Amino acid sequence: MNRTNRANRMNRVNRASRVNGALAARAAAGVLAAALVLAGCSSKAKDDGDKAAAGGMKTGEGISGKTITLGALTDMSGVYATLGKSVTQAQQLYVKQLNAAGGVCGYKVELTIRDHGYDPQKAVSGYTELEPNVLGFVQFIGSPFVAAVKKRIDGQDKDLVLPQAWSATLLGSPYIRVIGSTYDLETINAVDFLMREKGLKKGDRIGHVYFEGDYGENALVGSEHMAKEAGLTVVQQKIKATDNDMTAQVAALKKAGVKAIVLSAGPRQAASLVGVAAASGFNVPIIGNNSAFAPQLLATEAGPALMKNYYVASPSLPIGADTPEAKKLVADYKAAYPKDSLDNGIVAGWTAASAFGEALKKACASKDLTREGVDKALLSIDSFDMGFGTTQDFSDPAAASSRESVILKPDKNVTGGMKVVRQAGASKAAQEYTPAS
Amino acid sequence: MSEVLHRDEARERAPRSGLHRIRLVRPRVWAWAVAVVLLLAFPFYLDRFWLEAGLFAMAAAIGAIGINLLTGATGQLSMGHAFFLAVGAYGYCVLAADGGDGLTGLGLPTWLAAVLAVLVAGLAGGLFSPISGRLSGAYLGIATLALVFIGQHIMFNAHDLTGGANGRDVPPLSLFGLTFDDREIDVAAVPFGSAEKLWYAGLVLLAACALFARGVLRGRPGRAMNAIRDHRIAAGVLGVPVARHRAAVFVLSSMYAGLAGVLLALVFQRTVPDYFGITLSLDYLAMIVIGGLGSVSGAVAGAAFVSLLPQVLTRYSDTLPLVSAPGTDGIAPGEAARYLYGAAVVLVVLFLPGGLTGAVVRRRARTRSARTHPGEER
Repeated sequence: MNRTNRANRMNRVNRASRVNGALAARAAAGVLAAALVLAGCSSKAKDDGDKAAAGGMKTGEGISGKTITLGALTDMSGVYATLGKSVTQAQQLYVKQLNAAGGVCGYKVELTIRDHGYDPQKAVSGYTELEPNVLGFVQFIGSPFVAAVKKRIDGQDKDLVLPQAWSATLLGSPYIRVIGSTYDLETINAVDFLMREKGLKKGDRIGHVYFEGDYGENALVGSEHMAKEAGLTVVQQKIKATDNDMTAQVAALKKAGVKAIVLSAGPRQAASLVGVAAASGFNVPIIGNNSAFAPQLLATEAGPALMKNYYVASPSLPIGADTPEAKKLVADYKAAYPKDSLDNGIVAGWTAASAFGEALKKACASKDLTREGVDKALLSIDSFDMGFGTTQDFSDPAAASSRESVILKPDKNVTGGMKVVRQAGASKAAQEYTPAS
Repeated sequence: MSEVLHRDEARERAPRSGLHRIRLVRPRVWAWAVAVVLLLAFPFYLDRFWLEAGLFAMAAAIGAIGINLLTGATGQLSMGHAFFLAVGAYGYCVLAADGGDGLTGLGLPTWLAAVLAVLVAGLAGGLFSPISGRLSGAYLGIATLALVFIGQHIMFNAHDLTGGANGRDVPPLSLFGLTFDDREIDVAAVPFGSAEKLWYAGLVLLAACALFARGVLRGRPGRAMNAIRDHRIAAGVLGVPVARHRAAVFVLSSMYAGLAGVLLALVFQRTVPDYFGITLSLDYLAMIVIGGLGSVSGAVAGAAFVSLLPQVLTRYSDTLPLVSAPGTDGIAPGEAARYLYGAAVVLVVLFLPGGLTGAVVRRRARTRSARTHPGEER
């Protein structure tokens, strides 16, 4: 071999390291050339053959043999760990039941789950890792991360992604589909509830305590819109996710003389806000977005105050709803995960998984299980009801799949800790609202 | 490949058979050559996931070299590294974007924007120099900590500049007519997307940064920096302008961070404020402690370790022992990755004082001394 000769010759050459370096560089160049030639055999090299259609079925990424693989990018070790766990377990349950019932026209469905712990780097690389091997994503927690890979999803991947986030900024893509009403619509419905049933009227001031970031700011868009429509004034209180003590906010809102408070934050902030307001004799109705409650709160000191004065607007009926679907889900979930608590993350996960499942079934019926086929199938679903109160219409990517909200009230005697006080419905303002973007 | 094996055998045999010094030098040169070839060939074989992981590691390495100049070589603790990364990343976006998405954008050529973003990061470091020149050690650490919080507040709220919580898109870099975006170019039948193209840009940047930092560390400034770290007063007596050197190395370190930020932004294709938090600053400190304080190779090794380990653990979480599938009892994969990462950090700090490269250097020194004084214990 030529190179071996050269290596042998090298042994004999004078030992100055400069000479060594030059020779090594030459050798490196030789090896590099060989590597470039070899690259042609790389498994990454393009092969132009389309996937053979088995039984007339068109398939693409994420399907091998008789298995459909779906991805789930969740958070089970970061700030949304409780939500992520419920959502994921509900989806695993859905997939298990789907497969037990024969799968999607003979195809078994499999979930590949990656826990990103709400870390942008892990979330993006999780997407990069799973994307080539999955048909789509039934779950993607963290709207900043969805936004980070949006260009790739819309540009070349074209895979269906169902984010577990309800910000209107995610609307507009035919591939990223928010399930249920977005935060702005939910807040409009919440304020509508306060006006209709809690005595809020034109000219009143309304407090809005919200998280900085996507969720809170989108909710604020809703309350500002409603204020303009109904002649209210919004008193804003922006907080950070790490602010747990709401004493200052309560004092400020009390001083401003607000007649009701909207809360777009987390469960901890809800407990503090409601508890502090009650303790200081500030008895105004408080309504939160769906993320601003957890059943565990009812066991805390704020429990009685929450049950008295607190409401939650939600895109679907709660887990403890009185429908056969909800009852079955509760029974199955309890059987599968006896130690875990029941919350609305289960409903969210279940709803997303069944929407995806429905799209798969439709795509399968039209013999096209490619990503394009699934996207098209979802666009053709315009009245999908999973038994949680609201019907979903996926035919317009620019609009939320539902404009309806259910108003709930904490109650410790009900499964999941929430009972319905107003059934699903969209206020007039919500029906006429178009998100500005 | 067989030659490589042959060389490795030669390396192993060398000390025992008492061959000359040169035999020991040569394997190193060969190892370098093989490493370079492998690095150049990776985009042809590895998945996008691995290339992205590698690019994160390269960006981290550039940032870590910067903080190692400051903390490792000069003894100035900085907790604000994440802030300067953010300045680089967002600076690039603001300078290069064309304003098409409704956010502020100056529409400069992207290569110029990248260079300017690094200078802006340096400028930000310069503005901080009245503080960085006067404070030392832990005091500077606390002062720079404030930068991270101020920076994140701005990132979340200066919507026109930063796009708020969801961040803003990063315009792809174009250089000499080559655009580092996802439009595929076939090279030897392998489709080259953004990760493959950026890989080479990252390698070039990392090599340049490493060589420059090595030059600084081995020259007069490096000796002055070490003198400041080891004995500030003695350094002043020797005629080293302490405050000026501290400020200058802070600016240089900020520029390294800025460049790392630009590269990260290009890899992410989107800048997100969540990323540039206090944990990122701590990660960078962990990198140089694990890799080895005060050296370029230490920074690179530490950066590779810290940024690749969690990725690898998460990726293979399914197959690791003791880890249960999500949804069942036991340790979740994400948690397991953190435990292992934490354990690795503790083990390195306990058993490898001087970090990963410190261990290598010590071993080399030991074998060398054994060679020169054959009677000594090894």
